[in-house]
Amino acid sequence: MKILKLFIIIIILITNFTKGNSNESKDNLVNKISKNIRCLICQGQSIYDSQSDFSISMRLVIKKKLEEGLTEKEIYDFLKDKYGQWITYEPEFNKKTFILWIMPILLFIIGGAILFNRLFVKKY
Amino acid sequence: MLANQIGYYSLILGLISSIIIIPISLKNYPQNNETINRKIISLSFFQFFFVLVSFIGLVFSFINSDFGNETVYNNSHTTKPLFYKISGTWGNHEGSLLLWLLVLTFFIFLFLVKSKSQPKKYRILTLLFQQIIIIGFFIFVLKTSNPFNYLFPTPKEGLGLNPILQDPALAIHPPILYLGFVGSSVVFSSSLAAVVQGYISKSWANHIKIWILISWFFLTIGILLGSIWAYYELGWGGFWFWDPVENVSLMPWLSLTALLHCILVLEKKTILTSWTITLSISTFVLSVSGTFLVRSGILNSVHTFANDPERGLFILFFLFFLIFLALIVFFVFHKNGNHETVKINFLSKETSILINNWFMMYFLSVVLIGTLYPIFLEVLTNEKISVGPPFYNKLILPFLVPFLIFMTFVPYLRWIKSEYNKIKIDIILLFILSFIVSFLLFKQFGFESLMISILIPFTFYLFLITAKDLLSKNKKNFSQKVSHFGFSFLVLSILLNSIFSSEIIINLKEGETFSFQGGAIKFHSLEENNGKNYKSIIGNFEIYDDKNQSIKLMPELRIYNQPSIVTSEADIKTTLFYDKFLVMNSVKNNEYFNVRYQLKSFMIWIWISTLILALGGFLSFTKRLYEK
Repeated sequence: MKILKLFIIIIILITNFTKGNSNESKDNLVNKISKNIRCLICQGQSIYDSQSDFSISMRLVIKKKLEEGLTEKEIYDFLKDKYGQWITYEPEFNKKTFILWIMPILLFIIGGAILFNRLFVKKY
Repeated sequence: MLANQIGYYSLILGLISSIIIIPISLKNYPQNNETINRKIISLSFFQFFFVLVSFIGLVFSFINSDFGNETVYNNSHTTKPLFYKISGTWGNHEGSLLLWLLVLTFFIFLFLVKSKSQPKKYRILTLLFQQIIIIGFFIFVLKTSNPFNYLFPTPKEGLGLNPILQDPALAIHPPILYLGFVGSSVVFSSSLAAVVQGYISKSWANHIKIWILISWFFLTIGILLGSIWAYYELGWGGFWFWDPVENVSLMPWLSLTALLHCILVLEKKTILTSWTITLSISTFVLSVSGTFLVRSGILNSVHTFANDPERGLFILFFLFFLIFLALIVFFVFHKNGNHETVKINFLSKETSILINNWFMMYFLSVVLIGTLYPIFLEVLTNEKISVGPPFYNKLILPFLVPFLIFMTFVPYLRWIKSEYNKIKIDIILLFILSFIVSFLLFKQFGFESLMISILIPFTFYLFLITAKDLLSKNKKNFSQKVSHFGFSFLVLSILLNSIFSSEIIINLKEGETFSFQGGAIKFHSLEENNGKNYKSIIGNFEIYDDKNQSIKLMPELRIYNQPSIVTSEADIKTTLFYDKFLVMNSVKNNEYFNVRYQLKSFMIWIWISTLILALGGFLSFTKRLYEK
């Protein structure tokens, strides 16, 4: 129990002071966003990884949008509006993709239920 | 030309061997003698021999640059270094399938020779199932991907091998990976044979474990090599991109890792039989689906080099056939009643292995669904989505926390039943220590991601626990301890790498210096150089750190002549604590170069820890050979 208490205290400490640390520099933010944006003319590369003209100009667009004061999320939305869902590596949660997000977790729960049944319920 | 002819006819002889082996085996099967007809083993050897001759024929065609052969023409060039002429043999679709066949026939021959202590009928059935797979691949190679097609008139020069494939790590990556994939086919055939014979038992588990270990070891090393290659050759400084083709090699690995744990239970007690068979089947099916997805060109991936719909369709058909066959065998022959009805105690090793499997299956389902869902969505609704790193991070990282915690308990559980052991004081001390260390890290650096902040202390804890076990005097289950230590070390290295790595991207021209917080990059000069089949521009850079010490880095831009492709070769200085990674790219119509400098922390430990992980499997394997 003591360990549990200690654990909870530490977790709270950790979460508290990670919050104060979201001041990333602009370049880092550009890189972070670039990693989640697909280069549309390449084979499976992000615009961060690719050196194509498309990627270079996209990185400039992101930088410009950040300077205009858009947030990270607004930039993703802007790009998705312009180029469609294909451009982002993080699929939205909507009625076409909820299976994608929910299914693994559902399988995990079902697996857990089978395991629980095998260990505790099944009679011999 | 001659080598080409010999190769082709030898391949056909290989197929004919299959056709002869099957009736002889069927005739031998019901006979009551204890041993397999010697003819079968000789034929199996000849089959391997024919495919080997065929393969060597192709290698010779490549070495001699025989452009009358279409495969050589498409993938080789006279100016290519000899080493890459040879590795070019399997660096393409046709050749890589021939390699599949070579390993398939070699493994089944090895299986026959090494399984003498096993029941005869089981051995023959394994051979038969394996021959079905082999015939499938023979037809596939001969019909859709013949490596010995003629070209007439003979072209003077070949088209060359994609330069990014001209690399030592990638030269040996496919063969190693295939050893893993094909090893799982032996496990597949053998488990089907064992089901038919009602032979799913402790002794079967004991015997097939060695094949599981072989596959697992090679698959692990194969994935590692691919990852190392991506790190320095694709030139971005990452080592895992959650690219579909990478995922496709990870899926059989996850399934096989689950099977490897599961077989340990079956070795001790006849339980979990259906589950073991399911995993044996799924591992191989995932390996073949991987080949299908990569070769059919369905996946949009950086690794897709060859694709052709006809090939895709064939593999898809073959895949469904294999699944269908496996299901029929499973439902007709498998009797669930013949295993021991033992209650599994909650605090036993069996439970821990089941929990391991539970998580492995979860990780597998995330990767599987993440890879396949976009394909299905596009077919059904014509809508394209991309599933990339953010998806996998979100679904995998949170589940890693309980998985790591659970792994710390494992060494303290015994088979059948464990009592609540008095929890030892040093374990608590390690627990506190790992939190203190993590806390100091946070205090010093502060991380942005909550998930990583939570993962760090638990990973540290698991690392300390597994290190303690590894160093303990008790050498029981030593190979397991090595692998578990390797795994925790790997997770730790990946986490530290993701936290501490930093990078600078700038445009520089010759003679310029860029200063940043804690150092400077100086672009001294450019020089030109001529390689055997490329020209290169080498940049002379000097990187200063905060103590004003400097190192030289010389990234390269290579302009290959055939095919004419520009690649950028990173220059990497590796030390124990970090890699200094520098890559440059030309900016169009400009004297400036786009320079990307990265400080990658603990990079070398990611490779070393994966090697340790694989080493555990290797130790377990050699120990068994030694005991026999």
